[in-house]
Amino acid sequence: MPAQQQHDQQRLAHEAMPLDEGGPTRAPLAGAGAGSQAATEAAVQAAARTGGVRISNVSKSFGTDESRTLVLDGIDLSVGMGEFVSVIGPSGCGKSTLLKVIAGLTDADGGEVTVDGNPVSAATKNKMIGLVPQSPALMPWRTVLDNVTLPMSVNRGANGGRSMRDPVELLESFGLGHAIDKYPAQLSGGMQQRVAIARAFVFDPSVLLMDEPFSALDEMNRDQQRMGLLDFWQSNRKAVIFITHSVPEAIMLSDRIVVMAAHPGRIAEIIDVDLPRPRSVDDYATDEFRDLEGIVRAKLRAVMEPGAADAAAGGTGETR
Amino acid sequence: MTEVRVRGAQLTATEATATVGTASAVPSGRRKPRHPGRHVPASRRWYKWRIWLPPAVTFVIVAVVWQLLALANPYVIPTIDAIVASLLRDPQMYWVNMLVTLQEVVIGATAGILVGFLIAVVMAEFEIMERAVMPLFVVIMVTPIVAIAPALVVAFGFGMMPKYIVTALVVFFPMLVNSLAGLRDVDQRTLDVMRTLHASRWEIFRDLRFPGSMPFVFAGLRVALPLAIVGAAVAEFVAAGQQAGLGSLVTIAAAQANLPVTWASIVLLCVLGVLIVSFLALVRNRVLWWSDGETVAR
Ligand SMILES: Nc1ncnc2c1ncn2[C@@H]1O[C@H](COP(=O)(O)OP(=O)(O)O)[C@@H](O)[C@H]1O
Ligand SMILES: [Mg+2]
Repeated sequence: MPAQQQHDQQRLAHEAMPLDEGGPTRAPLAGAGAGSQAATEAAVQAAARTGGVRISNVSKSFGTDESRTLVLDGIDLSVGMGEFVSVIGPSGCGKSTLLKVIAGLTDADGGEVTVDGNPVSAATKNKMIGLVPQSPALMPWRTVLDNVTLPMSVNRGANGGRSMRDPVELLESFGLGHAIDKYPAQLSGGMQQRVAIARAFVFDPSVLLMDEPFSALDEMNRDQQRMGLLDFWQSNRKAVIFITHSVPEAIMLSDRIVVMAAHPGRIAEIIDVDLPRPRSVDDYATDEFRDLEGIVRAKLRAVMEPGAADAAAGGTGETR
Repeated sequence: MTEVRVRGAQLTATEATATVGTASAVPSGRRKPRHPGRHVPASRRWYKWRIWLPPAVTFVIVAVVWQLLALANPYVIPTIDAIVASLLRDPQMYWVNMLVTLQEVVIGATAGILVGFLIAVVMAEFEIMERAVMPLFVVIMVTPIVAIAPALVVAFGFGMMPKYIVTALVVFFPMLVNSLAGLRDVDQRTLDVMRTLHASRWEIFRDLRFPGSMPFVFAGLRVALPLAIVGAAVAEFVAAGQQAGLGSLVTIAAAQANLPVTWASIVLLCVLGVLIVSFLALVRNRVLWWSDGETVAR
């Protein structure tokens, strides 16, 4: 099957999913006729097998032969369609490197990454990956609207058969309707980061990769942006891999939290977040949230214990 | 070349300061704001004479000292009134010569700017080209232009061509170096976003490298354009008397010990320089309104 066609088919299956509960495999199919049900179910299962991001046995090292350091060591991770997965771990454990491998910006030394069944090179060619870097990375000479439409104006060959979002509508739903004609320098840091997120959503990619998108914001702003992203994502489910330093942030947003350990970078544990969706600020105060926070923090402490220096430099972000 | 900090005209720097304080006053049209940061609120108007008064005082002092020195040494420098009288006696002659020099600067500098920028683009896209040809350009750069000029006159005759070439040569190197720095100085994270979208090399150039290089290009122009006047004048010195131009005028008048004409021509060369630099600042404000204006030329 051609990559684009397969991509679209999976997108269809994905869109049939209810918004409020369950992962892609558990989702009952709304409106599927009895006759076609079996066929559609098979398609969904096929999509579930290859859909989303599959990372298997990925390793990466930097440096020349004598002073080679292993940064990623046998990473295995699958992120299903419509699933939100956070990655948390000490500084320098290879989170950004992992994201760059998935985004096709760095080649892994070994292992395999697929996005909706396509190797990364094909996935970038088909514009299936949306990247939100650590800083907004907007073009200061373009208006907010022109920044958001950037993904449509490059690699136009991959635009065919794709359901682009209306950028103005999208910006409005991000609370940026009044800022469409403004320039990035006229916006606050939080608003700039929202523009960067809109730019990643606008071309309807299969997966969104976010590298500490809120880390440069102050705590108040940060919480506001986080809840904004949560609200938007809960009604526009995408596979998301989200790097963060904040434990509450990881819990509030994610279906699963990947805790990484350093030297070499590896997955120490994957913690399920079974808080019901849709979530809201009220969830911060629940016992379940507090329990999860305790579990994640304990795991992070365990991961950081052997190397005291790492723990000092790492800093798991905020304390609530 | 020594590092020169480029801030544009004094007025520009202060306008930029005013922008920070009045971000909300910036109009938000559908396209780019017409004059972002041009709006100076009434409470800040007093700034204006803080801008103009100090240099004005300096100029007055220099003029007074000049006049006193000229009165004391009549055979070394002319008095200011003698210079002005000379300018008024034959404005047509000065105007014609100024236009010739301006023509050399405009044509020569345009050629130098375009060639410098285009070669910078090639070098930025193909790193091997930089390694291959940059040493050659450095050799050309360190060769004194006053030594090249007579050789070019021999080669190309006494017409305008050697003047264009000398002017272009002087402009070329600062343009090349600054454009190259600008084209290389892309925001890595924006580049990551574009690469993840599989943007083509051309798209990355068109949407990111080219507009992003403009602060450096203008920093380069700020160095190169005054140099263009030097280049044009030097070329005229070499072939003095064969062709018009303010540089020729200086040489001929100095040889005849005609102090007022010599200095009137020098003053006009200064005026030409100020006009060109002001024009550049004007264009920079239009094109580069989004930049903070702190790019350092190399
Ligand atoms: N391009 C590179 N060359 C050499 N070392 C690198 C490079 N990129 C990252 N590293 C190293 O890999 C390790 C992991 O980096 P990174 O993925 O940025 O960590 P994190 O995002 O988890 O803080 C660090 O020790 C860093 O120094
Ligand atoms: Mg990082």
